[in-house]
Amino acid sequence: MSAIAGIAVRGIAAAVPTKVALTQDYEFLKPEERARLQKATGIGAHRISPTEQCTSDLCAAAAERVISHLGWQPDSIGALILITQTPDQPIPATAITLQNKLGLPQACAAFDVNLGCSAYPYGLAIISSLMKSLNISRALLLMGDLSRVCALTDKSAWPLFGDAGTATALELDNDAPPIFLDLMSDGSGKDAIIIPGGGLASRRPPGDGPITEEIGSDGIARRPDNLLLRGADIFSFAISKVPPSIHRVLEMGGHSADQVDFLVLHQANKMINDTITKKAGFTPEKAISTLAQYGNTSSASIPLTLCAHADRFSDDRLVTVCGFGVGLSWGSATLKIPANAVLPVIESDAVY
Amino acid sequence: MTIENFVEKFAFAIEVETVSLTADTEFKALPNWDSLNALSVIAMADADYGVALSGEDVHSSTTINDVWKIVSARKQ
Repeated sequence: MSAIAGIAVRGIAAAVPTKVALTQDYEFLKPEERARLQKATGIGAHRISPTEQCTSDLCAAAAERVISHLGWQPDSIGALILITQTPDQPIPATAITLQNKLGLPQACAAFDVNLGCSAYPYGLAIISSLMKSLNISRALLLMGDLSRVCALTDKSAWPLFGDAGTATALELDNDAPPIFLDLMSDGSGKDAIIIPGGGLASRRPPGDGPITEEIGSDGIARRPDNLLLRGADIFSFAISKVPPSIHRVLEMGGHSADQVDFLVLHQANKMINDTITKKAGFTPEKAISTLAQYGNTSSASIPLTLCAHADRFSDDRLVTVCGFGVGLSWGSATLKIPANAVLPVIESDAVY
Repeated sequence: MTIENFVEKFAFAIEVETVSLTADTEFKALPNWDSLNALSVIAMADADYGVALSGEDVHSSTTINDVWKIVSARKQ
Protein backbone atom coordinates (compact mmCIF):
# COMPACT_ATOMS: atom_id res chain seq x y z
CA MET A 1 0.00 0.00 0.00
CA SER A 2 1.10 3.55 -0.25
CA ALA A 3 -0.35 7.02 -0.43
CA ILE A 4 -2.87 9.16 -2.31
CA ALA A 5 -1.91 12.79 -2.85
CA GLY A 6 -4.01 15.74 -3.97
CA ILE A 7 -7.07 15.19 -1.78
CA ALA A 8 -7.79 17.67 1.02
CA VAL A 9 -10.09 17.19 4.00
CA ARG A 10 -12.20 20.38 4.17
CA GLY A 11 -14.62 19.62 6.98
CA ILE A 12 -15.67 16.91 9.44
CA ALA A 13 -19.02 16.93 11.28
CA ALA A 14 -20.77 14.47 13.58
CA ALA A 15 -24.32 14.14 14.91
CA VAL A 16 -25.64 12.13 17.85
CA PRO A 17 -29.18 11.70 19.16
CA THR A 18 -30.12 13.49 22.39
CA LYS A 19 -31.09 10.47 24.50
CA VAL A 20 -28.29 9.37 26.85
CA ALA A 21 -28.13 5.82 28.27
CA LEU A 22 -25.82 5.38 31.26
CA THR A 23 -23.88 2.19 31.97
CA GLN A 24 -24.68 2.64 35.67
CA ASP A 25 -28.42 2.42 34.88
CA TYR A 26 -28.24 -0.74 32.73
CA GLU A 27 -30.81 -2.99 34.38
CA PHE A 28 -29.55 -6.30 32.98
CA LEU A 29 -26.36 -6.11 35.07
CA LYS A 30 -26.00 -6.16 38.84
CA PRO A 31 -24.76 -2.84 40.29
CA GLU A 32 -21.25 -4.20 40.93
CA GLU A 33 -21.13 -5.58 37.37
CA ARG A 34 -22.07 -2.15 36.01
CA ALA A 35 -19.14 -0.55 37.85
CA ARG A 36 -16.80 -3.26 36.65
CA LEU A 37 -17.95 -2.97 33.04
CA GLN A 38 -17.51 0.79 33.14
CA LYS A 39 -14.00 0.51 34.58
CA ALA A 40 -12.80 -2.12 32.09
CA THR A 41 -14.39 -0.68 28.94
CA GLY A 42 -14.19 3.00 29.85
CA ILE A 43 -17.78 3.34 28.61
CA GLY A 44 -19.95 5.41 30.94
CA ALA A 45 -22.65 6.52 28.54
CA HIS A 46 -23.87 6.15 25.00
CA ARG A 47 -26.47 7.84 22.80
CA ILE A 48 -29.62 6.08 21.64
CA SER A 49 -31.70 7.12 18.65
CA PRO A 50 -35.47 7.38 18.80
CA THR A 51 -37.01 4.35 17.09
CA GLU A 52 -38.08 6.29 14.00
CA GLN A 53 -34.56 7.70 13.43
CA CYS A 54 -32.27 5.82 11.01
CA THR A 55 -28.61 5.90 10.05
CA SER A 56 -29.45 8.15 7.11
CA ASP A 57 -31.00 10.75 9.44
CA LEU A 58 -27.93 11.14 11.64
CA CYS A 59 -25.65 11.19 8.59
CA ALA A 60 -27.87 13.74 6.85
CA ALA A 61 -27.72 16.03 9.91
CA ALA A 62 -23.92 15.83 9.91
CA ALA A 63 -23.76 16.31 6.13
CA GLU A 64 -25.97 19.42 6.24
CA ARG A 65 -23.78 20.83 9.00
CA VAL A 66 -20.57 20.42 7.02
CA ILE A 67 -22.09 21.61 3.72
CA SER A 68 -23.44 24.77 5.33
CA HIS A 69 -20.17 25.40 7.19
CA LEU A 70 -18.24 25.22 3.93
CA GLY A 71 -20.85 27.15 1.96
CA TRP A 72 -20.79 24.47 -0.74
CA GLN A 73 -23.54 24.49 -3.35
CA PRO A 74 -25.17 21.02 -3.30
CA ASP A 75 -24.75 20.70 -7.07
CA SER A 76 -20.97 20.96 -6.68
CA ILE A 77 -20.85 17.57 -4.90
CA GLY A 78 -20.05 14.75 -7.30
CA ALA A 79 -19.89 11.70 -5.01
CA LEU A 80 -21.48 10.48 -1.80
CA ILE A 81 -20.30 7.29 -0.13
CA LEU A 82 -21.99 5.92 3.00
CA ILE A 83 -20.16 3.35 5.08
CA THR A 84 -22.52 1.55 7.42
CA GLN A 85 -23.49 -1.88 8.72
CA THR A 86 -26.96 -0.67 9.62
CA PRO A 87 -28.49 0.72 6.42
CA ASP A 88 -32.08 2.00 6.46
CA GLN A 89 -33.20 -1.03 4.44
CA PRO A 90 -31.45 -3.98 2.71
CA ILE A 91 -32.24 -2.57 -0.75
CA PRO A 92 -31.68 0.06 -2.12
CA ALA A 93 -28.41 1.45 -0.83
CA THR A 94 -29.00 4.17 1.75
CA ALA A 95 -26.44 6.48 0.11
CA ILE A 96 -28.77 6.84 -2.88
CA THR A 97 -31.67 7.91 -0.67
CA LEU A 98 -29.31 10.42 0.95
CA GLN A 99 -28.49 11.92 -2.47
CA ASN A 100 -32.18 12.84 -2.67
CA LYS A 101 -32.61 13.88 0.98
CA LEU A 102 -29.62 16.21 0.78
CA GLY A 103 -30.71 17.70 -2.54
CA LEU A 104 -27.56 16.59 -4.34
CA PRO A 105 -27.56 16.54 -8.13
CA GLN A 106 -28.26 13.40 -10.16
CA ALA A 107 -24.71 13.76 -11.48
CA CYS A 108 -23.51 12.35 -8.17
CA ALA A 109 -22.09 8.85 -7.71
CA ALA A 110 -23.72 7.37 -4.58
CA PHE A 111 -23.29 3.93 -3.03
CA ASP A 112 -22.93 2.11 0.29
CA VAL A 113 -19.94 0.22 1.61
CA ASN A 114 -20.42 -2.54 4.18
CA LEU A 115 -17.71 -1.96 6.77
CA GLY A 116 -17.86 -1.11 10.46
CA CYS A 117 -15.02 -0.37 12.82
CA SER A 118 -12.45 -0.06 10.01
CA ALA A 119 -14.58 2.42 8.04
CA TYR A 120 -12.49 5.57 8.25
CA PRO A 121 -9.18 4.50 6.68
CA TYR A 122 -11.07 2.42 4.10
CA GLY A 123 -13.43 5.30 3.35
CA LEU A 124 -10.57 7.73 2.84
CA ALA A 125 -8.95 5.27 0.42
CA ILE A 126 -12.14 4.62 -1.56
CA ILE A 127 -13.35 8.19 -1.90
CA SER A 128 -9.90 9.62 -2.63
CA SER A 129 -9.32 7.03 -5.34
CA LEU A 130 -12.69 7.75 -6.91
CA MET A 131 -12.18 11.51 -6.84
CA LYS A 132 -8.72 11.29 -8.34
CA SER A 133 -9.50 8.78 -11.05
CA LEU A 134 -12.82 10.35 -12.15
CA ASN A 135 -11.78 13.94 -11.49
CA ILE A 136 -14.59 14.56 -8.99
CA SER A 137 -13.79 17.87 -7.35
CA ARG A 138 -15.97 17.60 -4.23
CA ALA A 139 -17.31 14.59 -2.36
CA LEU A 140 -18.90 13.52 0.92
CA LEU A 141 -17.84 10.52 2.95
CA LEU A 142 -20.60 9.59 5.41
CA MET A 143 -20.36 7.03 8.18
CA GLY A 144 -22.83 6.02 10.80
CA ASP A 145 -24.38 3.11 12.64
CA LEU A 146 -27.22 2.41 15.03
CA SER A 147 -27.02 0.06 18.01
CA ARG A 148 -30.57 -1.26 17.65
CA VAL A 149 -29.19 -4.48 16.12
CA CYS A 150 -28.07 -5.52 19.62
CA ALA A 151 -30.51 -7.34 21.91
CA LEU A 152 -31.40 -5.07 24.84
CA THR A 153 -30.76 -7.98 27.20
CA ASP A 154 -27.29 -8.67 25.73
CA LYS A 155 -24.88 -7.48 28.39
CA SER A 156 -21.93 -8.44 26.14
CA ALA A 157 -23.00 -5.93 23.47
CA TRP A 158 -25.85 -3.53 24.26
CA PRO A 159 -24.07 -1.38 26.88
CA LEU A 160 -21.06 -0.94 24.58
CA PHE A 161 -22.59 0.51 21.42
CA GLY A 162 -23.89 4.01 20.75
CA ASP A 163 -25.52 5.74 17.80
CA ALA A 164 -23.91 8.43 15.64
CA GLY A 165 -23.67 9.75 12.09
CA THR A 166 -20.76 11.64 10.57
CA ALA A 167 -19.77 13.49 7.40
CA THR A 168 -16.32 14.23 6.02
CA ALA A 169 -16.11 16.68 3.11
CA LEU A 170 -13.18 16.28 0.72
CA GLU A 171 -11.95 18.28 -2.25
CA LEU A 172 -9.42 17.81 -5.03
CA ASP A 173 -6.45 20.04 -4.24
CA ASN A 174 -3.10 19.68 -5.98
CA ASP A 175 -1.35 21.14 -2.95
CA ALA A 176 -2.82 18.65 -0.46
CA PRO A 177 -0.24 16.38 1.17
CA PRO A 178 -0.49 12.59 0.71
CA ILE A 179 -2.83 10.43 2.78
CA PHE A 180 -0.84 7.34 3.78
CA LEU A 181 -2.84 4.11 3.94
CA ASP A 182 -2.52 0.57 5.26
CA LEU A 183 -5.59 -1.65 4.67
CA MET A 184 -5.97 -5.26 5.89
CA SER A 185 -8.53 -8.10 5.99
CA ASP A 186 -8.86 -11.54 7.58
CA GLY A 187 -12.13 -13.28 6.79
CA SER A 188 -11.20 -16.29 8.92
CA GLY A 189 -12.38 -14.17 11.84
CA LYS A 190 -15.85 -13.51 10.44
CA ASP A 191 -17.62 -15.00 13.45
CA ALA A 192 -16.02 -12.61 15.95
CA ILE A 193 -18.68 -9.96 15.28
CA ILE A 194 -21.64 -11.16 13.25
CA ILE A 195 -25.35 -10.81 12.65
CA PRO A 196 -25.88 -14.43 11.66
CA GLY A 197 -29.52 -14.23 10.50
CA GLY A 198 -31.30 -12.32 7.78
CA GLY A 199 -28.88 -13.02 4.95
CA LEU A 200 -29.32 -15.78 2.40
CA ALA A 201 -26.45 -17.87 3.82
CA SER A 202 -28.38 -18.22 7.07
CA ARG A 203 -31.11 -20.14 5.20
CA ARG A 204 -33.61 -18.32 7.35
CA PRO A 205 -34.25 -14.97 5.73
CA PRO A 206 -36.75 -12.67 7.41
CA GLY A 207 -40.29 -13.70 6.62
CA ASP A 208 -39.44 -17.39 6.65
CA GLY A 209 -41.39 -18.08 9.83
CA PRO A 210 -41.42 -16.09 13.05
CA ILE A 211 -38.12 -14.76 14.42
CA THR A 212 -37.58 -16.13 17.93
CA GLU A 213 -34.91 -15.70 20.56
CA GLU A 214 -32.39 -18.46 21.15
CA ILE A 215 -30.04 -18.89 24.11
CA GLY A 216 -26.39 -18.87 23.00
CA SER A 217 -23.48 -20.82 24.50
CA ASP A 218 -22.79 -17.73 26.62
CA GLY A 219 -26.27 -17.97 28.16
CA ILE A 220 -27.51 -14.80 26.47
CA ALA A 221 -30.80 -14.73 24.55
CA ARG A 222 -30.61 -13.21 21.07
CA ARG A 223 -32.65 -13.25 17.90
CA PRO A 224 -30.83 -14.46 14.77
CA ASP A 225 -30.91 -10.89 13.46
CA ASN A 226 -29.20 -9.53 16.60
CA LEU A 227 -25.50 -8.73 16.65
CA LEU A 228 -23.25 -11.27 18.33
CA LEU A 229 -19.91 -10.03 19.70
CA ARG A 230 -17.15 -12.37 20.85
CA GLY A 231 -15.16 -9.89 22.89
CA ALA A 232 -12.18 -12.07 23.76
CA ASP A 233 -11.55 -12.92 20.10
CA ILE A 234 -11.74 -9.25 19.09
CA PHE A 235 -9.43 -8.30 21.93
CA SER A 236 -6.84 -10.90 20.95
CA PHE A 237 -6.98 -9.85 17.29
CA ALA A 238 -6.83 -6.13 18.05
CA ILE A 239 -3.82 -6.11 20.34
CA SER A 240 -1.78 -8.40 18.07
CA LYS A 241 -2.67 -7.16 14.54
CA VAL A 242 -3.40 -3.47 14.97
CA PRO A 243 -0.11 -2.06 16.34
CA PRO A 244 1.87 -3.40 13.34
CA SER A 245 -0.58 -1.63 10.98
CA ILE A 246 0.07 1.65 12.79
CA HIS A 247 3.81 1.02 12.59
CA ARG A 248 3.54 0.37 8.84
CA VAL A 249 1.58 3.54 8.12
CA LEU A 250 4.00 5.64 10.16
CA GLU A 251 6.95 4.12 8.37
CA MET A 252 5.30 4.70 4.99
CA GLY A 253 4.99 8.41 5.69
CA GLY A 254 8.41 8.64 7.30
CA HIS A 255 6.75 9.77 10.53
CA SER A 256 7.60 8.94 14.11
CA ALA A 257 4.91 8.74 16.79
CA ASP A 258 6.34 11.98 18.22
CA GLN A 259 5.68 13.85 14.96
CA VAL A 260 2.00 12.89 14.90
CA ASP A 261 -0.26 15.23 16.86
CA PHE A 262 -3.03 12.74 17.65
CA LEU A 263 -3.65 9.00 17.41
CA VAL A 264 -7.35 8.44 16.80
CA LEU A 265 -8.29 4.80 17.31
CA HIS A 266 -11.64 3.20 16.66
CA GLN A 267 -13.31 3.45 20.05
CA ALA A 268 -13.58 -0.23 20.98
CA ASN A 269 -12.95 -0.33 24.70
CA LYS A 270 -10.43 1.12 27.11
CA MET A 271 -8.41 -2.07 27.64
CA ILE A 272 -7.98 -2.59 23.90
CA ASN A 273 -7.23 1.03 23.11
CA ASP A 274 -4.75 1.53 25.96
CA THR A 275 -2.87 -1.60 24.91
CA ILE A 276 -2.73 -0.58 21.23
CA THR A 277 -1.64 2.97 22.12
CA LYS A 278 1.23 1.67 24.20
CA LYS A 279 2.36 -0.95 21.69
CA ALA A 280 2.20 1.60 18.86
CA GLY A 281 4.58 3.85 20.79
CA PHE A 282 2.18 6.74 21.49
CA THR A 283 1.77 8.53 24.81
CA PRO A 284 -1.73 8.25 26.34
CA GLU A 285 -2.25 12.03 25.95
CA LYS A 286 -2.09 11.73 22.15
CA ALA A 287 -4.75 9.04 21.99
CA ILE A 288 -7.93 11.12 22.10
CA SER A 289 -11.06 9.21 23.13
CA THR A 290 -14.83 9.42 23.37
CA LEU A 291 -15.49 6.06 25.01
CA ALA A 292 -16.67 7.69 28.23
CA GLN A 293 -19.46 9.74 26.66
CA TYR A 294 -20.37 7.95 23.40
CA GLY A 295 -19.19 4.32 23.76
CA ASN A 296 -18.39 2.30 20.65
CA THR A 297 -20.06 4.00 17.68
CA SER A 298 -18.85 1.51 15.05
CA SER A 299 -18.12 3.18 11.70
CA ALA A 300 -18.66 6.68 13.16
CA SER A 301 -16.17 6.38 16.01
CA ILE A 302 -13.09 8.04 14.47
CA PRO A 303 -14.75 11.15 12.95
CA LEU A 304 -16.99 11.46 16.05
CA THR A 305 -13.90 11.41 18.28
CA LEU A 306 -12.27 14.09 16.14
CA CYS A 307 -15.39 16.27 16.41
CA ALA A 308 -15.68 15.75 20.17
CA HIS A 309 -12.20 17.29 20.43
CA ALA A 310 -12.83 20.04 17.88
CA ASP A 311 -11.24 22.63 20.19
CA ARG A 312 -7.89 20.91 19.69
CA PHE A 313 -8.02 21.36 15.90
CA SER A 314 -7.71 25.14 15.64
CA ASP A 315 -4.30 24.59 14.01
CA ASP A 316 -3.23 22.24 11.23
CA ARG A 317 -2.86 18.74 12.70
CA LEU A 318 -1.17 15.58 11.52
CA VAL A 319 -3.22 12.60 12.72
CA THR A 320 -2.92 8.86 12.48
CA VAL A 321 -6.30 7.13 12.48
CA CYS A 322 -6.78 3.40 12.91
CA GLY A 323 -9.96 1.35 12.61
CA PHE A 324 -10.24 -2.34 13.48
CA GLY A 325 -12.94 -4.92 14.11
CA VAL A 326 -15.84 -6.57 12.31
CA GLY A 327 -14.71 -8.58 9.29
CA LEU A 328 -12.09 -8.94 10.50
CA SER A 329 -11.03 -5.74 8.83
CA TRP A 330 -8.48 -3.19 9.92
CA GLY A 331 -6.52 -0.28 8.56
CA SER A 332 -4.60 2.87 9.36
CA ALA A 333 -4.16 6.24 7.71
CA THR A 334 -1.98 9.26 8.37
CA LEU A 335 -3.39 12.54 7.09
CA LYS A 336 -3.25 16.25 7.61
CA ILE A 337 -6.38 17.92 8.96
CA PRO A 338 -6.33 21.66 8.23
CA ALA A 339 -7.07 24.24 10.92
CA ASN A 340 -10.73 24.65 11.88
CA ALA A 341 -11.92 21.80 9.63
CA VAL A 342 -13.21 19.76 12.58
CA LEU A 343 -16.65 20.93 13.74
CA PRO A 344 -18.07 20.31 17.23
CA VAL A 345 -20.55 17.43 17.66
CA ILE A 346 -24.19 18.39 17.13
CA GLU A 347 -27.29 16.75 18.59
CA SER A 348 -30.15 15.74 16.31
CA ASP A 349 -33.29 13.66 16.68
CA ALA A 350 -34.45 14.77 13.25
CA VAL A 351 -36.06 12.31 10.86
CA TYR A 352 -35.69 13.34 7.23
CA MET B 1 9.26 -18.40 33.39
CA THR B 2 7.67 -20.71 35.93
CA ILE B 3 4.12 -21.82 36.57
CA GLU B 4 4.29 -20.17 40.02
CA ASN B 5 5.14 -16.91 38.36
CA PHE B 6 2.30 -17.36 35.88
CA VAL B 7 -0.24 -18.05 38.65
CA GLU B 8 0.89 -14.83 40.32
CA LYS B 9 0.39 -12.82 37.13
CA PHE B 10 -2.93 -14.56 36.50
CA ALA B 11 -4.14 -13.55 39.97
CA PHE B 12 -3.01 -9.96 39.43
CA ALA B 13 -4.77 -9.85 36.04
CA ILE B 14 -8.13 -10.96 37.41
CA GLU B 15 -7.70 -8.95 40.62
CA VAL B 16 -7.76 -11.73 43.22
CA GLU B 17 -5.25 -12.61 45.98
CA THR B 18 -2.39 -14.79 44.70
CA VAL B 19 -2.76 -17.16 47.66
CA SER B 20 -6.29 -18.00 46.54
CA LEU B 21 -5.06 -19.58 43.30
CA THR B 22 -2.95 -22.60 42.34
CA ALA B 23 -1.99 -24.16 39.02
CA ASP B 24 -4.96 -26.50 39.41
CA THR B 25 -7.54 -23.82 40.07
CA GLU B 26 -10.51 -24.14 37.73
CA PHE B 27 -10.58 -20.44 37.02
CA LYS B 28 -13.92 -20.24 35.22
CA ALA B 29 -15.58 -21.63 38.37
CA LEU B 30 -14.27 -18.74 40.49
CA PRO B 31 -17.11 -16.65 41.89
CA ASN B 32 -15.84 -13.43 40.35
CA TRP B 33 -14.97 -14.90 36.92
CA ASP B 34 -16.66 -13.19 33.98
CA SER B 35 -15.99 -12.50 30.31
CA LEU B 36 -14.03 -9.33 31.13
CA ASN B 37 -11.53 -11.50 33.06
CA ALA B 38 -10.84 -13.37 29.83
CA LEU B 39 -9.73 -10.07 28.28
CA SER B 40 -7.47 -9.39 31.27
CA VAL B 41 -5.81 -12.79 30.92
CA ILE B 42 -5.27 -12.25 27.17
CA ALA B 43 -3.79 -8.82 27.92
CA MET B 44 -1.46 -10.31 30.55
CA ALA B 45 -0.20 -13.03 28.16
CA ASP B 46 0.49 -10.34 25.57
CA ALA B 47 2.19 -7.86 27.89
CA ASP B 48 4.19 -10.26 30.09
CA TYR B 49 4.96 -13.12 27.69
CA GLY B 50 4.51 -11.65 24.21
CA VAL B 51 2.05 -14.44 23.44
CA ALA B 52 -1.25 -14.01 21.57
CA LEU B 53 -3.98 -16.04 23.28
CA SER B 54 -7.31 -16.38 21.50
CA GLY B 55 -10.72 -16.32 23.14
CA GLU B 56 -10.97 -20.02 22.28
CA ASP B 57 -7.69 -20.73 24.11
CA VAL B 58 -9.17 -19.34 27.31
CA HIS B 59 -12.58 -20.89 26.64
CA SER B 60 -11.14 -24.38 26.09
CA SER B 61 -8.88 -24.28 29.17
CA THR B 62 -10.12 -25.53 32.53
CA THR B 63 -7.25 -24.92 34.94
CA ILE B 64 -4.68 -22.15 35.11
CA ASN B 65 -2.10 -24.79 34.20
CA ASP B 66 -4.00 -25.45 30.95
CA VAL B 67 -3.53 -21.80 30.00
CA TRP B 68 0.10 -21.92 31.11
CA LYS B 69 0.74 -24.90 28.81
CA ILE B 70 -0.48 -22.86 25.83
CA VAL B 71 1.49 -19.77 26.83
CA SER B 72 4.73 -21.62 27.55
CA ALA B 73 4.48 -23.63 24.29
CA ARG B 74 3.99 -20.46 22.22
CA LYS B 75 6.67 -18.59 24.10
CA GLN B 76 9.29 -21.03 22.79
